[in-house]
Amino acid sequence: MAVEVCSSAFVPLGRAQASALGYSALPIAVVPHPFGTVSREEVRVMAQECVTQIAEHACAPISAGSAVGGQQQEPVAGLCVKLEIPSAPDAFTAFNKLAREKRWSDGLPVVPPTVERVEAMLAHTKRARNEVIARLAPAFCAATVESIAINAVLAGCDPEYLPVLLAAVEAVAAVDFNLQSIQSTTNPAAVWIIVNGPISGKLGMNAGGNCLGEGVHANASVGRALRLLLRNIGGALPGDMDRATHGQPGKFSFCCAENEAKNPWEPLHVERGHKATDSAVTVVGAEGTMNMCTLAKNADDLIRVLADTMRHAPSNEYVHGSEPWLLLCPEHADIINDAGISKAELKRRLWKESKMRAGVMAAEDFERTQASRTSELGPIGPDTILTISKKPEEIGIVVAGGAGAHSVYIPCFGNTRSVTRRVMES
Amino acid sequence: MTSATTVFSPEAPAMQRKEQQRLRIDTLKDCVVGFIDNAKPNFNYLVEDLAELLKKQLGVKEVIIRRKRAASIPALKSYIDELAGCCDVVITGSGD
Repeated sequence: MAVEVCSSAFVPLGRAQASALGYSALPIAVVPHPFGTVSREEVRVMAQECVTQIAEHACAPISAGSAVGGQQQEPVAGLCVKLEIPSAPDAFTAFNKLAREKRWSDGLPVVPPTVERVEAMLAHTKRARNEVIARLAPAFCAATVESIAINAVLAGCDPEYLPVLLAAVEAVAAVDFNLQSIQSTTNPAAVWIIVNGPISGKLGMNAGGNCLGEGVHANASVGRALRLLLRNIGGALPGDMDRATHGQPGKFSFCCAENEAKNPWEPLHVERGHKATDSAVTVVGAEGTMNMCTLAKNADDLIRVLADTMRHAPSNEYVHGSEPWLLLCPEHADIINDAGISKAELKRRLWKESKMRAGVMAAEDFERTQASRTSELGPIGPDTILTISKKPEEIGIVVAGGAGAHSVYIPCFGNTRSVTRRVMES
Repeated sequence: MTSATTVFSPEAPAMQRKEQQRLRIDTLKDCVVGFIDNAKPNFNYLVEDLAELLKKQLGVKEVIIRRKRAASIPALKSYIDELAGCCDVVITGSGD
């Protein structure tokens, strides 16, 4: 049998996760929150209380009516539920009232997914409407083509955007992406969608000025639709299974195209083995955006200050050896390229110049680093030099944005790797 | 007569879901208890203390402890297989 020990603030996550996995009867022993910051002596006191709870849970009688054992089954025909809402005074208001009650929305008004709108969306794929594209953690419910189309309507997507979303859902469900942790962490982890290839132009996606800001329908609604899927299918509702301490604005929408026309190097999807004529979606477990305003004209100087920005002690990158990202503006990319520095060489330089001494970390983070990276680096002491990623190639570089000397550092969640999937247009 | 509009629920399609039954034991005496240490700060100390208390106060025969490399990754399958194969009770952790 199993027992889970949860700090009190995480009991809702424990209960919801157990229920999602078909084990709602999982016994949970509770320790006070916050647990990680209490003294060694306080842990001893908590252990005494906790051992009593464990014994009670392990030997407690089983209540009548417990279900028999079994595994989750495939969805029944994969068809989503239809509802009738009053058309008067207007269906929009009635549906949005329902969406608030059911927590289907990100907090902003949503578009009612009428049968007509969903059918129009589905016309943009040849895949069967009940095909399961992925199971989305932490609820592990099935994201079918139909449910993806419904949430795309909800977010306000045009029907032509559906293939991009199908690829994005496939990508976030890849094991390396670690959606389970991204969805349930206290970190401000959002999914940054990067679109490459001809489809970004066809859909009018913004790769230029304000590409991470508001104002372009495709960027805003595609990013929003993925977030709604992560809530409504993945089950990551804030306060329940989404345990983010603050979250971040990127959880409303976080989507841009790469500015391939102004990228002096190969675009991201080509770097990852796709043809330039393919369209592809890359998803990144991103923790936020840090603007780097520098008027540096010298490439060496520019790389030095970019690397200095990436290096900071309370960083998941250094604890785990992760995958940090730079969103370079075209002007900075040109300065570096004009100095004869390739994208691969830029990664090597950033990796080398962002190294950090382990001893600058807080003691507890130093211990986490030892636990996480000893197998990679060997014994870690205060004078061990930590790299931001395990290998230089793991630093992500994308070129986007408009005029101006601003690049963006985008730290990642830590134990996650970005995933690229080809967009299959109908 | 009030007209109605048909809309879809954005939630996942219905699942044929079966619940796993909770197991129980009569006593912890002479049991083997496994811990998966989630690598969060202080959980290693809690596991250490619980292991001692389980043995001294409740007569647990053996405690097996396996530690994850980091909290944000799954436990190794080898740990899960090992503990599932030899433990009467397995205890995991969640939270900060």
